[in-house]
Amino acid sequence: MMLLGAGLCIIVLSGILARALERRTRAADRAFRWGMLAGCAPGLWAAVSLLVSQSPAPASAGAGAAFGLDPLSAWFLIIVLGVGTTTAIYGIHYLARERPGRRIGTAHLLLAVLITAMAGVVTAQTILAFMGAWEIMAITAYFLVVFEHEHAEVRRAGLLYLVLSHVCIIALVGMFAAWGGGVAGGSFQELAASAVHQRAPVALVLVLALIGFGIKAGVVPGHFWLPSAHASAPSHVSAVLSGVMIKTGIYGLLRVLTLVGPPPAWWAWSVLLLGLASAVLGVLWALAQHDLKRLLAYHSVENIGIILMGLGLGALGSVYHHPALALLGFTGALLHTLNHALFKSLLFLGAGAVLRVTGTREIDRLGGLVRVMPRTAWAFLIAAVAIVGLPPLNGFVSEWLIFRGLLGAGGTAGALRSASAAAAGLALTGALALACFTKVYGALFLGSPREAMVRESAAERGLVAPQLVLAAACITIGVLPILVIPAAMRAAAVVLQGRGAIDDVVAATQAASRISLAALGLVGLTAIIWLVRAGRMVRGGAPVAATWGGAFPTVTSRMQYTASSYAASLLALFGPLSGTHRIVGPTSFQVHTTDPILDRVGRPLWGWLRRSAQGLRGIQTGRIMWYLIYVISALLGLLLYLWLVAAQ
Amino acid sequence: MQPVHDVLLLLVVLTNFWVLGTTRLSATIRATAVQGALLAGLPLALYPGLSPHILGLAVGTFAVKAVLLPVLLSRAIREAAVRREIEPLIGFAPSMLLGALAVALAFSIAPRLPLPELRTHVLVPVALSTVVIGLLVLTTRSKALTQVVGYLILENGIYVFGLSQVERVPFLVEVGVLLDIFVGVFIMGIVVFHINREFDSLDSARLTELRD
Amino acid sequence: MSTFPVFPILTLLIVLGLAPALPGIANRTKSALTGRRGAPVMQLYADLAKLWRKGVVYSRTTTLVFRLAPVVLLSTTLLAACLLPLDGQAAILGFPGDLVAFAGLFGLGRFSLVVAAMDTGSSFEGMGASREVTVAAFAEPALFLCFTVLVLATGQLQLDGMFGLPLAAAWPLAAPSLVLAAVSLFIVTLAETCRVPVDDPLTHLELTMIHEVMVLDHSGPDLALILYAGGLKMALFGCLIVGVLAPRAHQSRAVALAELVLGLGLVAVAIGAVESAMARLRMNRVPQLLVAASALAGFALILLLR
Repeated sequence: MMLLGAGLCIIVLSGILARALERRTRAADRAFRWGMLAGCAPGLWAAVSLLVSQSPAPASAGAGAAFGLDPLSAWFLIIVLGVGTTTAIYGIHYLARERPGRRIGTAHLLLAVLITAMAGVVTAQTILAFMGAWEIMAITAYFLVVFEHEHAEVRRAGLLYLVLSHVCIIALVGMFAAWGGGVAGGSFQELAASAVHQRAPVALVLVLALIGFGIKAGVVPGHFWLPSAHASAPSHVSAVLSGVMIKTGIYGLLRVLTLVGPPPAWWAWSVLLLGLASAVLGVLWALAQHDLKRLLAYHSVENIGIILMGLGLGALGSVYHHPALALLGFTGALLHTLNHALFKSLLFLGAGAVLRVTGTREIDRLGGLVRVMPRTAWAFLIAAVAIVGLPPLNGFVSEWLIFRGLLGAGGTAGALRSASAAAAGLALTGALALACFTKVYGALFLGSPREAMVRESAAERGLVAPQLVLAAACITIGVLPILVIPAAMRAAAVVLQGRGAIDDVVAATQAASRISLAALGLVGLTAIIWLVRAGRMVRGGAPVAATWGGAFPTVTSRMQYTASSYAASLLALFGPLSGTHRIVGPTSFQVHTTDPILDRVGRPLWGWLRRSAQGLRGIQTGRIMWYLIYVISALLGLLLYLWLVAAQ
Repeated sequence: MQPVHDVLLLLVVLTNFWVLGTTRLSATIRATAVQGALLAGLPLALYPGLSPHILGLAVGTFAVKAVLLPVLLSRAIREAAVRREIEPLIGFAPSMLLGALAVALAFSIAPRLPLPELRTHVLVPVALSTVVIGLLVLTTRSKALTQVVGYLILENGIYVFGLSQVERVPFLVEVGVLLDIFVGVFIMGIVVFHINREFDSLDSARLTELRD
Repeated sequence: MSTFPVFPILTLLIVLGLAPALPGIANRTKSALTGRRGAPVMQLYADLAKLWRKGVVYSRTTTLVFRLAPVVLLSTTLLAACLLPLDGQAAILGFPGDLVAFAGLFGLGRFSLVVAAMDTGSSFEGMGASREVTVAAFAEPALFLCFTVLVLATGQLQLDGMFGLPLAAAWPLAAPSLVLAAVSLFIVTLAETCRVPVDDPLTHLELTMIHEVMVLDHSGPDLALILYAGGLKMALFGCLIVGVLAPRAHQSRAVALAELVLGLGLVAVAIGAVESAMARLRMNRVPQLLVAASALAGFALILLLR
């Protein structure tokens, strides 16, 4: 713990240095880079050594401590520090281009604080420490979202984010209040003990946790703040927000489950169904987007849904006393959390590089970028294959765990069997994600360039190395899942409080080695066929001609299928659910995207709230005397209430 | 192996899906004819022994549901000159999914209903889901003919349910078959008045004119 | 893997050899049923040999992605073949939940082919790619519902554990579900192998094609790889259907293999028969067919969950 604390201090310090040395740009960048690296190392080391150690996890890290590390915290700490640091280092080059116009040292400092706060959230052991870190995280994230505050839409997105993140803070305060009423010290251990004794408020606690943490994680229908906020932030911050910060919601849910034990069945089922809804709707809405970063943000909604399906499956497993299934579900959820952090931040970093080189985020204006920025293009391809959940990359491994759990539920008895039907929903999600990422990749990197001109092709430099690190992580986990599955299972065992069986771990590691074999087989087969085919190729390169254009003699870039029309036929089949709005003229075709929840539910609700609150305006007189009267009457009312309660 | 009546009941559900998923009216009518034939076979399979009562029921059902009504319906198509269901309120694929949902619900609710022991536990859920799918067709399709088919399916569901009570309540099913006269009247209405779209009486907005 | 899987590898080699004949059988059946002679059954072998000897021409806009795609397509299909218990009992490679990998490998193949189509920058190929992913989006849930039915009926999570004995034991108890699942699987096969009523492999108008239009710019050995992978895919889905409908539990291995070959032939004949009996569906009606397949499989699932 000391190690971690020292590391976090270094991280904050490097942020302060980056801000203080702003005039001396080189020194500031260097201080920030090495400070981040040095700061994340001890924390990572502590977390990794805890996860790989064979000895049983320490029961608690000091009874009274405000912060502590158990395998569950350690797992999330790796995500926070690993991905956070990589993106922060990317941010140095990314923001350096904006140096004359902006105070980028502030952004570095805020990001350092954000990473530290997230590390605090996942290691907090008391209510106060948790909520404190949570609030710091929410606020610094707000400032980072509105970093480009000169645009009105950025300010709007920031406001929406701020409101929603305080809605979830209210829910969390309510949760802890309902729970910790009789707990003196407010440490998590005491909470766990109190949860065992009084079952009555558990339902309330779990519902509030689902609301609070669900909004933070971006679960449909509480997701609508997410796309605009994540799209508005600078790209490397988007990577942290989408890849890491929303996972604190997942962490919160897992931690609450750890403390209350097996939840009621209705809660587990609703988590599974919410996950299914988020996954399918998230990917559908992502498919409709024209803005690259908004598209990626909607994919976070989808992946949170997949994670939530794993979590729901884990909860169901513990409800119906199937520890093996519970372990699979929680492990799948945890592993997908890590994987999503890796490939989603990689995608955002790639989007940032595209933005820097071309100056636009509009998918339909881009094209053929693989020739301009080949390394980003290949890293993006890896991330795209990974996020679709295809072998041999990491997304497949975690989705396989969840699939296996869902299908395994079919082999049990009773109500739990119906959970297996959710596998079809997950399959639909995967197929739609494939449609979405072939669209993005094809439109962005392949084909011939569309309207957008390449502004500075050299801007890719310096943005590549962090992407390669993340891509390498994706490949490693995909080919050698054995490296992470046991660690994820140790973290999942915390949630299960030791109810998992050792057989399951063994079975999973055996299957993991088969997956490695299959992945290597795939690579080997591809190489062999490539070589055999290469033997057939003409020496000196094959002849080159224009693309076959039907009857047209030449193919121009304007004849290419655009990303919008690529997605249109699929979206049309989903009707109003897809949130698209088409305008077909005699020679024109437009598709506009909306967020069905925000536009059909959120805004009307907000309007209604404002209208119905009109009556309250009368109390806002502007005279200080009246305000004092309000305060005194509230005080008197409380006293009266206390007196009445005591009188009973 | 599965008993014959279970297979027949499952085929009844499949014909429901057939009706939900097809656009051609002729195919819809064919599906109802097949369903009628299946329903005619059901009493024979459920109550083996060939009592005259059951035999009569089967023959009557076949004559009405599998021959008479489909023939009338096909004539109605010719008379009213409609071929396809063009603009359903809910698309074909979603209505099929809704139908699947209805079947799932029926199968999960049926065991909890306070019903006496039956010969097969498939019967009640199939009856329930057939009724619901009939309602679905009745409410979501815009052609008068498809609505008649929806009514027919709804009634078939009630018929299946009635079959479970043949031994307890005499003539329940027979009365149910008599209800088909209504269907015949609907169809004749279509034939005579060349009704193409939905019946006017379904326009519930008009009902507001009835107030003082 | 305690012993070297000699027999599964032998079966795999036989299936690999027979795969190009299946589209030929389907086309021949269609011709025969519509009163024509049609191309010989072995046509695809000749086509493959010819294409393999030919040179390639690449489009100017294409990149390495385009050249890699046919290779990845074939290697994923081959690996998927290794996961499937072709002789009805044992697979070369198997692990719990490998049916997810089976679907995932086809997904990767599709991904690479679609991305290659986008690489040409052609409007036709983009259109084909768009249609391909649209069809796939509706075929995938149906496929997984079929898998779920199989898992529920047998209690096994592994492809090579579920075919054979467990499935044979499940037939008396769950016959209606398995029949429904097989029908659903057949519809999925029609969609995945690009046959009528979803797609028409014999059409030559770009605007109406799905799969064929995606590969317009591939030529020579590349096209041969794609065509061969297509035949193999049909064989693999045929193996699934044969495995469900005729689980081979107690037969000797030679008999099981003979049954497989016979079954594959029958599946191809069935595909040809469907082609001759049905017209191709309009593009916007295809998802409806696949939703119907999902509904069938879903109904089978409901029957099992009861």
